[in-house]
Amino acid sequence: MTELITGLLQESISGIALGCIYALIALGFTLIYKATEVVNFAQGEIMMVGAYINFFFVTQFAGMTGGLNGWVFLAALFCSIIFAVLFGIILDYIINRPLKDEPVFSIIMATISLAIILRSLTAMIAGPISLIPVSPFGDSTIKMGGIVISILDLAIIISAIILMALFFFFFNKTRWGIAMKATSEDSEAAQLMGIPVKQVYRMVWVFAAIVGVISGVLLAPRMALLDTTMSYLGLKAFPAAILGGFGSIPGAVVGGIILGIIETVSMGTLSFHFEWIKEINDIIIWIVLIAVLMFRPDGLMGEAKVKRV
Amino acid sequence: MLKLVGVETFYGKIKALHGVSLSVEEGQLVCILGANGAGKTTILKTICGITEPEYGTIHFNDERIDHKDPEDIIKMGISLVPENRRIFPELSVYENLMMGGFLIKEKELFEERIERVTSHFPILSKRGSQRAGTLSGGEQQMLAIGRALMLDPKLLLLDEPSLGLSPKLVKEIFTIIKDLHKSGVTILLVEQNVNHALRIADYGYVLTTGKIFLSGTYEELLDEEKVREQYLGEGKYVRRSKLWSGR
Repeated sequence: MTELITGLLQESISGIALGCIYALIALGFTLIYKATEVVNFAQGEIMMVGAYINFFFVTQFAGMTGGLNGWVFLAALFCSIIFAVLFGIILDYIINRPLKDEPVFSIIMATISLAIILRSLTAMIAGPISLIPVSPFGDSTIKMGGIVISILDLAIIISAIILMALFFFFFNKTRWGIAMKATSEDSEAAQLMGIPVKQVYRMVWVFAAIVGVISGVLLAPRMALLDTTMSYLGLKAFPAAILGGFGSIPGAVVGGIILGIIETVSMGTLSFHFEWIKEINDIIIWIVLIAVLMFRPDGLMGEAKVKRV
Repeated sequence: MLKLVGVETFYGKIKALHGVSLSVEEGQLVCILGANGAGKTTILKTICGITEPEYGTIHFNDERIDHKDPEDIIKMGISLVPENRRIFPELSVYENLMMGGFLIKEKELFEERIERVTSHFPILSKRGSQRAGTLSGGEQQMLAIGRALMLDPKLLLLDEPSLGLSPKLVKEIFTIIKDLHKSGVTILLVEQNVNHALRIADYGYVLTTGKIFLSGTYEELLDEEKVREQYLGEGKYVRRSKLWSGR
């Protein structure tokens, strides 16, 4: 019995790490949806591009300095974030601006096309062979009680918390952050205040690209192989966002983390004890998704919409 | 101060304004009256640059402002309090005011304006940290006006401030508008509430289906049999309280 419990605890921590990544993907997705009402199906591809770009910088810097060390990873992360800023600006120009007031259907088709283009372009540039991702922490672990935690998981959790705290601060305490919230509530009224709505949209896309790229950077070392199919994990932003409450930023975070835990735990110890869980592991989160849509369509943190007219 | 000449605005292929000309002098309170769908809101949106006029010119203090971006027009000193208030319901009252003063860069000036607006509407400072969506209709209207005053506009455009308010609150809002006007703000007011609006206005325009139909002072317009026909429905008698509801 204690074995089961320590197993569950250990997997929960690993699940939280995976969940933090889902949360970041869902966060980028929700940011864009909330502010511009664009449903961005390419968020997973942004993440994948981020993982590739970071890999590229890591190998370049490692080649230049003659070895992998902490500075190489930091410098690569820094360059990846700069890339993300440019990437976000470009996406704003080619997707958001021309499609802003088009019907939802056109926007969905455009972002799906963007997803396919990004996937193909990455495969073209990086070549068809899967890469072997490198982790700045290797396989090192720490032991706490009977639980073994990988340093990488811990680093993922800490980075995600820092990133989310920064976002929280930005959205609630700064002039531009509040302007972003105001714009997503009522863009015309925001325009009447003199808030430069177009600049706000651009900023939203840049932010989404930054969290997307960082989620890719964090996810890659957890994977055995790095290839373009990684982007399909981005689709899990949907169950995460819906579980938490579509359009709610804290909801996206909570939903993502819950999803990560469910997935990891059901894949691990539980599947040793209950054979049937293994069989449904791949579809379990989609079952959760349908159940949420059926019984609690507003999600866990979805706000009941109160409007006074 | 503000001068519209032959302004025509389209929504797609539909012509919403058929050559509207009107002017507002500095220090005046001018009102535009008209039924639903007459194009009142369109006039205000066209002045603010949210919709662009196809023909005609708009001058503000001798500078041409049609085809300018809303942002630039707001910076020149025109603020609009939109129809249905359009406050940001999820933001706090203070954050709403903060957004009203988004363009103010200097911290001292910003604090000064917050002070001035909250002294105008003490209820707003009392409710500062409350979510704006939880305010009552009248308080929301005060917030919407306060938010527009953050930029200290030379010209304030008000779009149906009495819409959806109880008769008592309508009176209160009109008192506020009157006080604002007395304190030196030039106001262009759009209303369906003929009696209240004309009583405080220096000059009124009556709009029907995108055209200026009549214009004049309070006395001139009240005497005008046509105004009654227009508003009281082809000579039928409608109780005044019905007009108050804004419908």
